[in-house]
Amino acid sequence: MKDDYLWDGSGEPDPEVQKLENVLGRYRHDQPAPAPVVEQVFDQLAAEKPVRRRWSFFLSRLSFQLAAATAVVLIGITTFLVVRARRANDAGPAWEIARIEGAPRVGWHSLRGNSETAQLKVGQTLVTDNTSRASITLDETGTIEVDPASRLRVVASGLNRKRLSLERGTIHATIWAPPGEFVVDTPSAVAVDLGCVYTLHVDDSGTGLLRTTMGWVGFKLNGHESFIPAGAVCATRPKIGPGTPYFEDASASFRDALTKFDFAKITPQERNALLGILLVDARKEDALTLWHLLSRVSDAERPGVYDRLAVLAPPPKDVTREGILRLDQKMLDSWWNSFGYGDVYLWHMYERTWSEK
Amino acid sequence: MERRAVIAQPTTGTSADDALVSAARAGDRSAFGLLYDRYARMVHGILLCRVPPREVDDLVQEVFLLALRKLDSLRDISRFGAWLGTITRNRANDHYRRANRAEQPMEPAEEEKAQSRSNDHVAEQEAAMTLAVLRMLPETYREPLMLRLVEGMTGPEIAARMGLTHGSVRVNLHRGMQMLREKLAEKAAPCTERNASANKASGQNE
Repeated sequence: MKDDYLWDGSGEPDPEVQKLENVLGRYRHDQPAPAPVVEQVFDQLAAEKPVRRRWSFFLSRLSFQLAAATAVVLIGITTFLVVRARRANDAGPAWEIARIEGAPRVGWHSLRGNSETAQLKVGQTLVTDNTSRASITLDETGTIEVDPASRLRVVASGLNRKRLSLERGTIHATIWAPPGEFVVDTPSAVAVDLGCVYTLHVDDSGTGLLRTTMGWVGFKLNGHESFIPAGAVCATRPKIGPGTPYFEDASASFRDALTKFDFAKITPQERNALLGILLVDARKEDALTLWHLLSRVSDAERPGVYDRLAVLAPPPKDVTREGILRLDQKMLDSWWNSFGYGDVYLWHMYERTWSEK
Repeated sequence: MERRAVIAQPTTGTSADDALVSAARAGDRSAFGLLYDRYARMVHGILLCRVPPREVDDLVQEVFLLALRKLDSLRDISRFGAWLGTITRNRANDHYRRANRAEQPMEPAEEEKAQSRSNDHVAEQEAAMTLAVLRMLPETYREPLMLRLVEGMTGPEIAARMGLTHGSVRVNLHRGMQMLREKLAEKAAPCTERNASANKASGQNE
């Protein structure tokens, strides 16, 4: 094959690729592992776990009966400590609030001075009026700018679990915590950071809109899941949940048909017509939307969606038509991963470790 | 035959990686060192897509230290590469955001061009320009090409390390290379025209 050299360095060398390798090779990684620092971190981590080791050493020396009795007591103590630790975690670190303009407020306290800061703790709500803006930051998690007319509450702030609730308004989130650790509840969906920068808006009726600038975000409610990569948006409606995500540069007819398909009360004939528009107007990039539709349409509608999607974004070898028509999760995942927007494993990891509410 | 051998490599590598991740979790320092050796080029390449070259080495170390601290939170050790890749991108985003807040940085391309001018070295300038063009490609193409052309990884290695399929990496390398060729040609065209008119002018003067 012509690009063998580009693929694995085999076959006849491609002079152009070789030239680029030579030119760019100066930037190649050549640093050894940071040994002293790694040693330091290992030592720190070991120091954080001495209790576990000491107990296991102690237990190994006890007789079976004594060990069993001790185990019962230990389970009780551990359960108590875990529950207490979890509560403590939920109380967790506070977000630092910085005023950007106006007088954002937490409870009765308003931030008015230019350099005035405050903390936002679990259970507290940051409120901005029509002329106020603020940002909140938490180390190792991210920073969030809060636009005017917003209400943002901290639900949990434990280790590896940060949860906010956007009751109304707009936030711009830049998150650098590992994927799945930062979650925002809205009245109509839960937004899960999967490594990204995004804007989330909620109006007074609870209707929401999420726009991803970098990376990707998961949106979930009532079993409806949407993955929103950079450049795409997704609307939500109360009691319905997230709609189907789409790229903002899709045609107007495509976007209009999708909104009606997701949220409007329509007759079967209208639904059929809307689906027809979506399939005909879909561009290669709109594979994002069609992939989501696969699991949202009826069994009778699915073959049409599959066939169109297979033309726009041919499925990987391990994906079959039959498998997709019966909604085989592994095949759906594999097809999604082939788009290159993000590894769906991260989403499943979130699903295993967090509850929806 | 040769192709089969190359394609079989990642499977072995991946299961070996699983063992290394488990050992590193259990406190085996040399296992973590080996993981660093295996994944440092991937982390370096992903960072190079997003931050200026002179800052990448420090960030590589930061990413590995962060990963070491978070290793216990990794549920499926077979996805270590994908997980590490995401931590790397997040760290790069964070770096970019902080840089933006602290001061308005020069565009990386401009900064590198300036650096190259001061060194007055044609090869360095060419490398900086090529890197800048590579960074202009869409993310899907940019990362695999950076890993292939800069870090010297093969397509199967990229797929194994990043937890992607061979098919998607191959397609992205191919399309990315096409796009890179086009963009480099666009960049070269004005220079070629300028050189041609300069040569013409000097010929007329003579």
